[in-house]
Amino acid sequence: MNLTIKDQTFQLHPLGGLFWQEKSLLLISDVHLGKVSHFRKFGAAVPRKAVHKNFVLLDMLVSNFQPFQICFLGDLFHSSLNKEWELFENWVAKTPSEIILVAGNHDIIAPEKFQQLDIPIFPELVIDDFLLTHHPEEREDHFTFCGHIHPAVKLQGFGRQRLRLPCFFKSKNQMILPAFGQFTGTHALNPSKDDEVYAIVEDTVVKI
Amino acid sequence: MEGKHGLLNAPTGSGKTYALWFPIVLNYIKNNPDYRSTHKKGLKAVWITPLRALSQEIKQSAERITQDLGTQMTVGIRTGDTSTKERAKQRTTMPDLLITTPESLHLLLSSKGYAKLFKDCTAIVVDEWHELLGSKRGVQMELGLSRLKTVCTDLRIWGISATIGNLEQAREVLLGPATPQLENSVLVKANLNKKITVKSIIPKTMEKFPWRGHLGLHLLEDVVPIINNSRTTLLFTNTRSQCEIWFQKILEKHPEYAGEMAMHHGSINKETRLWVEQAIRNESLRAVVCTSSLDLGVDFAPVETVVQIGGPKGVARFLQRAGRSGHRPGKESVIYFLPTHAMELIEASAMQKAVLHHAVEDRIPYLNSFDVLLQYLTTLAVSDGFYPEEIFPEIKQTFCFQALSEDQWQWLLNFLVMGSQSLKSYDEYKKVDVEEDGKFKVNNRAVAMRHRFQIGTIVGDATISVRYQKGGYIGSIEEYFISKLSPGDVFTFAGRNLEFIRIKGMSAHVRNSSKRTSKVPSWMGGRLSFSAKMSELLRQELYTAELPKAKQSIEIQSLAPMFAKQREESIVPQPHQFLIETFKTSDGYHHIFYPFEGRAIHEGMSSLLAYRISLLTPITCSLAFNDYGFELLSDKPIDIQAILDNNLFTADYMLSDLQKSLNSNEMARRKFRDIAVISGMVFTGYPEKGVKMKHLQSSSELLFDVFKDFEDDNLLYQQAFTETFEHQLEEGRLRLALERIAQQEIVWKQCSRPTPFSFPIITDRLREKLSNEKLADCIKRMTAILNK
Repeated sequence: MNLTIKDQTFQLHPLGGLFWQEKSLLLISDVHLGKVSHFRKFGAAVPRKAVHKNFVLLDMLVSNFQPFQICFLGDLFHSSLNKEWELFENWVAKTPSEIILVAGNHDIIAPEKFQQLDIPIFPELVIDDFLLTHHPEEREDHFTFCGHIHPAVKLQGFGRQRLRLPCFFKSKNQMILPAFGQFTGTHALNPSKDDEVYAIVEDTVVKI
Repeated sequence: MEGKHGLLNAPTGSGKTYALWFPIVLNYIKNNPDYRSTHKKGLKAVWITPLRALSQEIKQSAERITQDLGTQMTVGIRTGDTSTKERAKQRTTMPDLLITTPESLHLLLSSKGYAKLFKDCTAIVVDEWHELLGSKRGVQMELGLSRLKTVCTDLRIWGISATIGNLEQAREVLLGPATPQLENSVLVKANLNKKITVKSIIPKTMEKFPWRGHLGLHLLEDVVPIINNSRTTLLFTNTRSQCEIWFQKILEKHPEYAGEMAMHHGSINKETRLWVEQAIRNESLRAVVCTSSLDLGVDFAPVETVVQIGGPKGVARFLQRAGRSGHRPGKESVIYFLPTHAMELIEASAMQKAVLHHAVEDRIPYLNSFDVLLQYLTTLAVSDGFYPEEIFPEIKQTFCFQALSEDQWQWLLNFLVMGSQSLKSYDEYKKVDVEEDGKFKVNNRAVAMRHRFQIGTIVGDATISVRYQKGGYIGSIEEYFISKLSPGDVFTFAGRNLEFIRIKGMSAHVRNSSKRTSKVPSWMGGRLSFSAKMSELLRQELYTAELPKAKQSIEIQSLAPMFAKQREESIVPQPHQFLIETFKTSDGYHHIFYPFEGRAIHEGMSSLLAYRISLLTPITCSLAFNDYGFELLSDKPIDIQAILDNNLFTADYMLSDLQKSLNSNEMARRKFRDIAVISGMVFTGYPEKGVKMKHLQSSSELLFDVFKDFEDDNLLYQQAFTETFEHQLEEGRLRLALERIAQQEIVWKQCSRPTPFSFPIITDRLREKLSNEKLADCIKRMTAILNK
């Protein structure tokens, strides 16, 4: 699914990534790496194999777009440092794209650790007329890409059918990305008339 | 007791508390002849009660005995309500007789040096064993007893149970199959011929009586003379919200009761509840609207009459409630049945037969509850640690784990230590350590503390305490309800109108309001299902609809207008008939099936049928069910003829079809929620600490999916399915029901509008969903829920 915003082209991917074609920039939000390990460290036996799933999906997304840059829109790591960081180091080493991080509320790992991997950290980023942040924010003359919310949409149909799907949530000057992380929840939003909702339906993105 | 173990079958109010306290105290006197002058300190007996509300009462009767016999024995209570100061005091000097709950007993097992504490304990009494038996608290009790049998040098185990269908089994579960304790035990039945009179409240005009509903307020005025003619009346409701509404409505219509009426349910604060209980004893109340919170124990002599509002769904429960009145040996019990909708009158009539024949249900004990076992093993690891070779034989003695294999045992131990079945270098899983001599021990203080907070097998939704802004605790409410309120909204709780101000930490701040409101918190109580016996009786009653009037009960007679309406477009089925109705409304196409087998069976059957239909044709439908039948609601008509032609009600391949049906997946998902919490995989947070623990909280929903994708051989994941089939869907009964249907003639009625029978089902909002269409196809027909 392609979208044009301010004459720029953006591609929405069903895994939850958004690709800015002109800049060859891949935006990914709320991966929450390390969450599974964090739980395990505290005695909650979440299946260990789930750790690898995030990396597998990241690889799929990167090989699909082969971006020049990857920008994580916050909450890259769920919590304090744990051994999943080593897996992340490996992933960074074998990924050819440049990686940058816009910090989110969960990102409490020391910035030096990221610097060692040549990953710069920004509180926010402005590229042309576009603002990249973690928390939703409307700013004059800018279009915002952000995360944090883990948006989902509720649908209903004849015969009292109901459905809940993760989505890209676009209002007039802002697009909230769905959470990429596998082991994360969603928060249902109520769209109003001016909002556009792009739901992730299995392996496609569908405009509702 | 005569040195024996056993089970005492006695109804409430028969002096059972004395019957067991007495021998315990006498035993002490016998072994300590100079008991009047010297007092040997230390724990001598434990009394387990499922409800902490009962502990005061039990304490008083124990104290009466110890004092009357001139001993210096002390009696203490240890439950969730006991203050930390009191607990610390108990740790240095235990009372001689301790009254506690299964959870608090396990908390004692999680404290260091517990073995010494229990060494001289000579008796354990498990009160209201029937309440614990069919739940995981029963398993918890079995495990606790298995340890105490070893730790206490000379122990007697006694249970007290109301009448249930499987009393013999209840004794076996309590003492352990093939144990010396069971060998040396007795089953004592207190034979009190208590007379119970059941009276139905029959609406004066059937025409205006609703076909559906669950409140029963139509008959409010009929309750007033009952209250007036009796010293004290208890009005039992099935849910807490129903309780709130009835309380409010009675006061609204009859302000003269103000000050003479009270409300009692589990979410109201303890002080208020205790006050209400005391007031009942003092005869200062005319009426109390209550829920199952007043089902058990506690002698309320002044209660003369009981009113049951809405179907109680179980004979045992109905008898128990009836027994709350005339609560003295030999006195007659009177209970009124107030139906909330027309179909419930059939239930009222069936209930009378059930009471007459004493057709009481079985309580089915759990098997292989690995979640409870993991919790128990962690408990032992937290206190003094355990050696597997010592604990395994003890666990094998219990009823629940009699079939536990060596492989499963090894799996559980691995899971405790590694959180999986193999070791990986990057893994930092931390819970139980294995020490050099092979002892399993928790050495991390934080792990131990989190575990202590999690002990228990009752999993509820997150609750939030409701407080006045200036302080003052009113009670607790499900977070789900509060999350739907905005500041300024007014809701009814604990009989007051409260305005919601804000959420702070884990409490909701409110102030009194004079505004009227219709918002009443709904608590997600489990919906109960009819037992096999009750369903059978219900069908028998229904079949009498075709008999001459003289042979019918008054309830059935009064339903004549409804039966007439039902016959306009459909039929009232007879024993050889199986009724199917189809019609269309603005909601969609309704397909309704009437097996009259009870809610649980209908849940399984609807899921099974929907799955089988989906094999014939792509379909999306929602399922609803009650005790009479079930509905498949779809956005297009389902071909009933195809269902019949393809013999979709067959009992062949039932289990494999059920397993494949998407819906059993959903049910297992809900079961898994509890399993994840009980086994310690999901941490629900410290009370009051709330947000700070967010990093460790996750929904078990997510966890279920992760297990499905990555570890579907996990014993806990599989347990969710076993529980679904055995306890929820009652696989065995479902098969019998299908075989019965196979013998029946199928009557398919295509109606132009909903029939009286269908009404309670189609208006049910709690629905299951099933779909095998491609998601994208479904979505084309759906629209987003827009802001109003």
